Amino acid sequence: MNPIAIGVFIVIALLTLGSGIMVVTVRNIIHSALWLIASFIGVAALYLLMEAEFLAVVQILVYAGAVSILVLFAIMLTRQVTGEGVRVVFERWWVALLIALGLFGVIVPTLWQHGSTWEEASKLAQVGPAPVEGTAAAGLQVATATEIGRSFMGEYLLPFEVISILLLMALIGAIVIAYEERTRRRRVLTLAEELALKKRGIVEPRDAEGAVVALDSEQA
Amino acid sequence: MTLSHLATEDVFVVERNDADFRAGQGMTKGLGIVFRKFRKALFGKPNSDRADTEGQFNVQYPEERLVLPEAYRNMPILLYDDATGHELCTSCFQCERICPPQVIHITQAKDPATGKPVPAAANFVLEYDTCMSCGYCAEVCPFDAIKMDHDFELSTGNHPELDVNYDRLLRPISYYEAIAPTMWSDVKEQAMKKLQNNIKRRPGAIGRDHGQKVKGGAAVAVAATPVAGAAPAAAAKPRGPVAAIGKNMPEEKVAKLISIRAANAAKRGGGDAGAAPVAEAAPIVETVVDTPAASAAPSGPVAAIGQNMSEDKRAKLEAIRAAKRAQRGE
Amino acid sequence: MADALTQLGFASWLSVLIASIIKVTLILVGGSVGMMFLTWYERRAISYMQDRRGPNRVGPQGLLQPISEAIKTMTKEDATPREADRIVHFLAPVVMLGATVLSFAVIPWGRMFPVDLNAAVLFVIATGGLHSIGMMMAGWGSNNKFALLGGMRGVAQLISYEIPQVMAIIPVVLMTGSMSLQKIVEAQNDFGGLGWFVFSPVGLLGFALFFTASLAEGERTPFDIPEADSEIIAGYMTEYSGMKFAVFYLSNYMSNLAVCFITATLYLGGGNGPGVDALGGFAGGLLSLIYFLLKSFALFFIMVLIRATVPRLRVDQLMGFAWKFLLPLVLVNILSASFWVALLRWDQQWPQLTEWFGAPSTADATNWGRLAIAVVLTLLINAGAVALIMRLTNRNVQKHLYTTDEELALGLS
Repeated sequence: MNPIAIGVFIVIALLTLGSGIMVVTVRNIIHSALWLIASFIGVAALYLLMEAEFLAVVQILVYAGAVSILVLFAIMLTRQVTGEGVRVVFERWWVALLIALGLFGVIVPTLWQHGSTWEEASKLAQVGPAPVEGTAAAGLQVATATEIGRSFMGEYLLPFEVISILLLMALIGAIVIAYEERTRRRRVLTLAEELALKKRGIVEPRDAEGAVVALDSEQA
Repeated sequence: MTLSHLATEDVFVVERNDADFRAGQGMTKGLGIVFRKFRKALFGKPNSDRADTEGQFNVQYPEERLVLPEAYRNMPILLYDDATGHELCTSCFQCERICPPQVIHITQAKDPATGKPVPAAANFVLEYDTCMSCGYCAEVCPFDAIKMDHDFELSTGNHPELDVNYDRLLRPISYYEAIAPTMWSDVKEQAMKKLQNNIKRRPGAIGRDHGQKVKGGAAVAVAATPVAGAAPAAAAKPRGPVAAIGKNMPEEKVAKLISIRAANAAKRGGGDAGAAPVAEAAPIVETVVDTPAASAAPSGPVAAIGQNMSEDKRAKLEAIRAAKRAQRGE
Repeated sequence: MADALTQLGFASWLSVLIASIIKVTLILVGGSVGMMFLTWYERRAISYMQDRRGPNRVGPQGLLQPISEAIKTMTKEDATPREADRIVHFLAPVVMLGATVLSFAVIPWGRMFPVDLNAAVLFVIATGGLHSIGMMMAGWGSNNKFALLGGMRGVAQLISYEIPQVMAIIPVVLMTGSMSLQKIVEAQNDFGGLGWFVFSPVGLLGFALFFTASLAEGERTPFDIPEADSEIIAGYMTEYSGMKFAVFYLSNYMSNLAVCFITATLYLGGGNGPGVDALGGFAGGLLSLIYFLLKSFALFFIMVLIRATVPRLRVDQLMGFAWKFLLPLVLVNILSASFWVALLRWDQQWPQLTEWFGAPSTADATNWGRLAIAVVLTLLINAGAVALIMRLTNRNVQKHLYTTDEELALGLS
């Protein structure tokens, strides 16, 4: 690793960690979500530094671009955000601490197992076909799209499919919820409908709406 | 929501074709239309006819100018006789009374010997900044002394300048004749007759001094008129919105015009029946020629617009003029 | 470039740094000058479509108009609402512009590639996705209901259209076998530089779908719902003025430019064209740059044409279009792309193909029989899918317009 890469790594890592800390300490919940985005982007930059370009791009596309936006949406649609900031520390903070420590306890040994230095890690990760000579990626070929695809369709097929089914269930659930919601919604007549009813002179527009609502319930 | 305020007939539900497969035909058609517009505006010739719906409509204003209609009115001006310098205004106060924003201020001239009022104005001040260009003053004036000017480029950084005094309001009759020939020829006779009567009642230089002062100061407008006279092509251009007589004129109308022209020629009974209308029309057209604004600017583009008119169109225009003159019984 | 600098005697890290700085500067300058040209180009083009002339006074043919506009916006007051979240409000345009400029890193200028990323195609889309963050920040930070509405609309639109946009690229990736833009350009260099993907049925449909989805991503009319001036003033830009507004404007136009560049690269062969390879060297590179810019600006002309023609969609129409029209077609297109790839070069996996259709195409010899079969098959699939989906959507529209269920039930028609 050349000195520039190390310098860049330190800066990015510090920024990522810093924004991660800001996520949990900032009182304004929207700011917290924005800091989360910053931390996602920092992670993507780390991937890019490791020349895992595909992973970096997907990190930005999925996490920074979509997940965080959903988080923001959820916050804005469910909470009064303009008021006083939220409480940072809850009564059961020790549960969160335990979970965090547990995760940390899993991650560190795993990393350690895969080699303590950059060179070792890259050697271990280099499972794909030999990279093309002369390209920038010749030294470090960590995770290309091909490799990721192969592992999804081979080694990790079962987890992949299980996750897919989970997503499918979520999708169906969302549709069911939305569908119920829709049938209960009050119909508003379009101009053409209202006019058609009025033209026949059978009912006044105001009554027509009632007729339509009655009709809806009849059908249901 | 209700539509009780709407009659059933007010709303139209669009009937669509039964075609199941539209395949973006509407979209393609729309894009095609817009692209045709683009092509016509970029490569087509500039639009010279209000009846056209395509082509380049923009007139590049400072360089190109539309020919203003004769009855176009911007700000009032006062007229004086070219030959004698006598002003037409008799300070009858009709305009001052009718002026809705009350921007006209007239001081009547008095005979210094007797102290009696004289039919002439000692001073005439008009506030251009508040004037609303309604043209009532010009309509009400019994002596045809106040007329509406065509000059619209009056913007200035000096506000007091817009209170215009008598000297700056005066224009020679020839100027007005140049910008509105038919309108002036309608009233010319009575106006000059009235002027002669008034001159008799004006002792000394009263009613003449302002006019002569302006005349001596070499009025810009008068000096400018010959420019247009030198361009006979421009002389034939229609006054009024560009090509008031459109090329979309139906056939029978054209035929009618030709017959009217022939009838007029016969009425005049001259041996040179064919040449008469043209000869008659020529002087009018030549004096019309150009608005002072146009002649002050480079006259090239203006002439170019005029030249867009085809030969037969020009002939038609002249025929109409001749017919009008015949109706007036000249 | 870095190698050349190393040979001049710079330390390796220094030469990398210098080369990067030069590249970044060139990209920034190229992007912003391109954007300036683009604003002028759009205004002139749309003027002629509306029988006007457009800006033609400042400089020759009004070319310097964007500069005067830039000076104007810079001298304007930079107002921030009192109750706004100042930091977020300030950062929103920065995020927007940053995301846009990032996408210029991988765009090939003819045969010149600033950075050849392995996942370059996805990278462009991802930077487009970052736009939604800037939009959300602007909408929320302004503390204005119109801004918030605009921001919400914009983000919903961007997220919805990202899906068809990304999936419309998959056929190209399948046909090329790579996500690097350089490889994609190389793959379109057959037939004397005219083997562009847009000439194949798969590529044609993909081009139409990708371009449409990109219009929505770039908030162009008819998808300019986030900044609908007549409904929500200017959406998330409502509370912005002066230089910050100019930065939004800059980022919008730069992303439009990027969309044109990417579309030209993916489907119209990038800098490929007749004569590029024959010339070679610097002249060939220049010619490829000219081809590339011509293609991109032709695409932008189509954007302007669409803007001048089509009115703004409603929000439900927008979502319906993405989910009911674009997405199914994109999926069908992926299917026909896989048939295409299978027929043209999949013999290692399935040797019978060689028996049936002969040897797969190589760079030297095209197997015309295979190509014809692939074209006919994919054409059938794609045309059938388009017809079917249009028929279905059209049915719905007609039913709605014509006889409503209520009318039928009440015996009114």
